[in-house]
Amino acid sequence: MMNLLQQIHTTFLPKAILGLIPLLLIFTGCAGPQAANSELTTATEAYNEAQRDPSIAQFAPVALKEAEEALERTQSLWEAKADKSSVDHYAYIALQKTRIALETAAFNAANQEISRSEVERQQVLLDVRRSEADRSEARAQSALEEARGERALADEARRRADLLAARVNELEARPTDRGLVLTLGDVLFETGQSDLRSAGMKTMDDLAKFLQEYPERNILVEGFTDNVGSESFNMELSRKRANSVKAAILNRNIAENRIRTVGYGFQYPVGSNDTAAGRQQNRRVEIIISEQDGTITTRGQ
Amino acid sequence: MELNMRLYQKLFTGVICLGLLTACGSTNPPTQQLTETQMVIQQAEELGAEDYAPLEIRDARIKLDLAREAVKDEEYDKAIRLAEHARLDAELAQIKARSGKAQKEVAELRESIRVLKSEIERNQRNN
Repeated sequence: MMNLLQQIHTTFLPKAILGLIPLLLIFTGCAGPQAANSELTTATEAYNEAQRDPSIAQFAPVALKEAEEALERTQSLWEAKADKSSVDHYAYIALQKTRIALETAAFNAANQEISRSEVERQQVLLDVRRSEADRSEARAQSALEEARGERALADEARRRADLLAARVNELEARPTDRGLVLTLGDVLFETGQSDLRSAGMKTMDDLAKFLQEYPERNILVEGFTDNVGSESFNMELSRKRANSVKAAILNRNIAENRIRTVGYGFQYPVGSNDTAAGRQQNRRVEIIISEQDGTITTRGQ
Repeated sequence: MELNMRLYQKLFTGVICLGLLTACGSTNPPTQQLTETQMVIQQAEELGAEDYAPLEIRDARIKLDLAREAVKDEEYDKAIRLAEHARLDAELAQIKARSGKAQKEVAELRESIRVLKSEIERNQRNN
């Protein structure tokens, strides 16, 4: 109907603009007011709604066109006053074709989304593999660092052990069941006195240095004499000599609680008191250096 | 001339009668159309129309049955129209089933992508 009007419009308008109005009136009169067909109305509404949805034009243009053609055919039948059953029939076709267009658009849109998602999924899969590789690498790296750390610790322990051996060697200490034992001979003390000679001071320096380096180790200083003179004199002398060693170490900034002293007099001889050489061996101070736990067993225990 | 006129008249009457007959309806049962419609319904069923478009496939079956009954009653025009509707219903059921499946697939893909992305996040957190 619109097409026809358009044609009339273009054909007659330039020549007889004024003639158009009565012509239109006549035409409208001819068509006459007509009762609406409810099936056609439903189909038209459904089609108009589908047409407004831009995704239908994008994803199902052919199906939409078919629906449009079916609707136009119904419209012309209705305008030509065809019987109601024919209009109903074609209106239903138009309606179903519109619905098919809608579902076709949904189907095609979903297919496009599937293609897009599959590409994305492949990309994400790659990302997953990459992240897993990164993670494994990070783990390997931390394991390597841990191993390096352990090796560094082991190296440090060995270095300290080597150093200890060197220090012990310097101190001329000998390992025994009770720990490392350093013996200060009689010649390091003034004769019959407890004062250390200057030669003994060198040994004190080394011992203090050792104790500073190994703060977990303590010392026990034991004084001994030969059997010349009274027991009480010898006991006193052995204590004094042990104490003068302690004083020398304290002077070198070692804490007092790390040093114990004891005097044994002429007990525990190491040589024979019958000879001069044996008596000289017996006049001595022994310094016992603890193991790492800091404890030293006392004699006779 | 008169004879010719009569002949034309007869021919004209014949044409009119033929036209009337055509307008009145088909004289042959739409067997081919019914078979085709049955096939479209079957395809829709195979596509899963029962799950995705139960109402449409039901309409199609009912209308096809009605079309067959109309054929028995020799109401061929009615049969043709019913078959035509049944076919469109079945076609709608088909596309609905296809579309429903595709949308399900979209949902599955999105879920799979979501899971993979959360895996990446977990890997990055654990690094």
